[in-house]
Amino acid sequence: MRGRNSPGFVHKGVSRLPDRALLLMAALIYIFLYAPILVLMVFSFNEARSTQVWEGFSTRWYVALWNDQSVLDAFYNSLIVGGTSTIVATAIGTLTALALTRYRFRGKSFADSTIYAATVMPEIVVGVSLLAFFVAVGFGLGLTTIIIAHVAFNISFVTIVVRARLSGMDESIEEAAQDLGANPVTTFLRVTLPLILPGVMAGALLAFTLSFDDFVITFFVAGVGSSTLPLKIYSMIKFGVSPVINALSTVILVATMILILGGSRFFMGKEDR
Amino acid sequence: MEDRRIQERPPDAPPVDRKVAVALSGITKRFGDFVAVDDLNLDIYEGEFFSLLGPSGCGKTTTLRMIAGFEEPGEGEISVAGQPVQGVPPYRRPVNTVFQSYAIFPHLNVFDNVAFGLRRAGVKGEELRQRVTRACKMVQLQGFEKRKPRMLSGGQQQRVALARALVNRPKVLLLDEPLGALDLKLRKEMQLELKNLQHEVGITFIYVTHDQEEALTMSDRIAVMNEGVVQQVADPATLYERPRNRFVANFIGQTNLFSGTVESVNGEKVTLVVPDGAKVEAVAQDGAEPEPGSEVHVAVRPEKVRFGAAGDNVCTAEVRQIVYLGVSTQYITWLPDGRKLALYQQNIQDAGGYDVGDEVTVSWDARNCLVLGG
Ligand SMILES: Nc1ncnc2c1ncn2[C@@H]1O[C@H](COP(=O)(O)OP(=O)(O)O)[C@@H](O)[C@H]1O
Ligand SMILES: [Mg+2]
Repeated sequence: MRGRNSPGFVHKGVSRLPDRALLLMAALIYIFLYAPILVLMVFSFNEARSTQVWEGFSTRWYVALWNDQSVLDAFYNSLIVGGTSTIVATAIGTLTALALTRYRFRGKSFADSTIYAATVMPEIVVGVSLLAFFVAVGFGLGLTTIIIAHVAFNISFVTIVVRARLSGMDESIEEAAQDLGANPVTTFLRVTLPLILPGVMAGALLAFTLSFDDFVITFFVAGVGSSTLPLKIYSMIKFGVSPVINALSTVILVATMILILGGSRFFMGKEDR
Repeated sequence: MEDRRIQERPPDAPPVDRKVAVALSGITKRFGDFVAVDDLNLDIYEGEFFSLLGPSGCGKTTTLRMIAGFEEPGEGEISVAGQPVQGVPPYRRPVNTVFQSYAIFPHLNVFDNVAFGLRRAGVKGEELRQRVTRACKMVQLQGFEKRKPRMLSGGQQQRVALARALVNRPKVLLLDEPLGALDLKLRKEMQLELKNLQHEVGITFIYVTHDQEEALTMSDRIAVMNEGVVQQVADPATLYERPRNRFVANFIGQTNLFSGTVESVNGEKVTLVVPDGAKVEAVAQDGAEPEPGSEVHVAVRPEKVRFGAAGDNVCTAEVRQIVYLGVSTQYITWLPDGRKLALYQQNIQDAGGYDVGDEVTVSWDARNCLVLGG
C-alpha cells in the first residue's frame, strides 16, 4: 500500500502523521453522522417505554406499529404519492433533458437556468406559493395536490441527472440509428433510451427518495386525512418521543438503504458488464 | 483575385451514358455567415470509388452530411439514384454512412449492431441470420458476433461499422475518414481491403479524407476541395500530372513553383520570362490559352527534373541539401536568383553522387512544366 512506490524513508516519516490525523478525522465524522441513528435503532428494540434507559430486548414497538392503522394509512399514502410523482416526474424530466440537450429553440437558456434554480428554491417558498396557487384556483387539498407538488419539484432533479448522462453520449450514435432506417421514435426506444436508462433510473430513485422524505412542501399542500409518513411522524412526536417512532424510523431507514444499495448495484452492474 | 470555381468535366471523365448515383448541383451550405460549402457541382457515377479530399475544415463532412440527410443545403439540389432527396429524412434515404467515430451501438453486440438496419427494413428469421453472418464474414469478423463493442479493438470496431452499413446494400456508401483513428500499418492494410471490398460489392463509395496519399491509392476519381470550393475533379493520375491550380499542385505531392510573365504562346507551348530574365518553356492547360504579358505560375514535379543539360529548360544551380530517401535521393538546389528547386534522383547503381556546395546543371522538359490557373 502506502510507500510502495516511494523508497525514500523521508517520505514515509513525513506522511505517517497526516495519515493518522486524517483517519481520526474520518472516524469522528462517521461517529457524528451515524451515532444518533444507531442509538435510535437500538432503542427501538428497548423493552421499556423510555428512550434513554435500556431495559432489555423486545420487538413490542414493532408489533404496536404494525397494529396502528393510522401509521399504515400514512405509509400507504406516502407510497402512492412517491410512486405516482416519480413516474410522472421521470417521464417529464427525461423528455425535458432530451429537449435541452438535443434541440435548439427560443428561450432555451431561460428554461435551462430555471431548471437549476428550482432545485435551490427554498422549500418554504415553494410550499407557500403552491398553497396560494391551489387556493386561488379552488383546487381542494388532498393527495392529488401533494402529488402535483412533488411532481413539480422532482422534474428538476430528474432533468439534471438524465442530462448529465445525455451530455456524455456521442450524438452520432443516434444519427447512426437514423442512417440505418430508424425513425425518431424507434431511435429513441432502441438506442437513446437504453443508453440513458441508468441515468433515468438514478433520477427516478432520487425522485422517489425526495418525495418519500419531503416534509415542508407536503405540510402546506396536504389536506385533512391525507397525511404522508413524515407528516404522521411529526404529529406523533407532538405527544412526546415514543419507541414506536424509533421503530418506524428504523423501518424507513432499512427500506431506504436496501433501495439505494440495490439501485447502485444495478447501475454498477450495467456499467461494468 | 484568382478564380477558384473550376467545375468543368475533366477531359477523361467517364462516358456520359454512365448512370449517375449522386448528383449535387449548385449546393451551398451556410452556418450563420460562414460559408461551409460554396456552389458545389458534382456527378458521382454508379460503382465509382469517389473521394472528397481537402484540408481539415474545408467542408467535406458537411457535404457528406447533406447527402446523408443530416443537414439540408441552403441552396441547390441533391439527387440520389435520380431521385431528388430534398426534405427526405435520413432514415428514408437509400444511403448508409460509416461515421468518423464509428458510432457503434455500445449496448448491442456485434450481431445486433449489424442486424440493426435489416430489422428496421423488416428482414427476419433465417434471412436475417444469413445476411448478418455473410456481412460479418466479408469484413473478417466471423466468430465475433456475440461480442460487445467495448471488447473490440479500434480496427475491429471499424469493421463492425463497415458491415453494419454494407449489409443493407445501399445505393451509396458514405465514409467519413473511416481509417483516421487507426495506426499507419493497419491503415495501409485497410486501404487495400476497402478498395477490394468496393470492387466486390460494386456499391458507389463516397470517401472523405484529408490524406492525399490515401485518396490517390484508393480512388477512381477525386474532388479536391478548399474552403468549401471544389478545386479540381479528376482521376488520381490527372490530378498529379495535370493539377489545375496552385492549391492542387501544392496539396497533391511535392512541386516546384515559378512565377513569370507570358512572353509568347504557340499552340499549347508557352514561353515565359522569370524575374531574373531567364526564359522557361512550359505547356498550357488543355484548352487554355494564356494571354501574352499576363502573370502566371508554372509547376514542375521534382522527379521530372534531372541532372545534366538534356532538357528544354537548362539552368545551373548549387546543391544546398541532400536527403537520402532509400529508393531515391532528394536534392534541394538553389538557382542563381535564390529560388529553390527540388529534384529526385533514383538510387540506381551508376547514378552519380553530388555533395553539398557542388555547382550542377539541371534541366527539365517543357511538357512536364505546366502553366497553372489561379
Ligand atoms: N453545425 C455547425 N455549425 C457551425 N459551423 C459548422 C457546423 N458544422 C461544420 N461547421 C464548420 O464548417 C466548416 C467545415 O466543416 P467540416 O465539413 O466538418 O470540415 P471537414 O470535414 O472538411 O474537416 C468548419 O469550419 C466547421 O467549423
Ligand atoms: Mg470532417
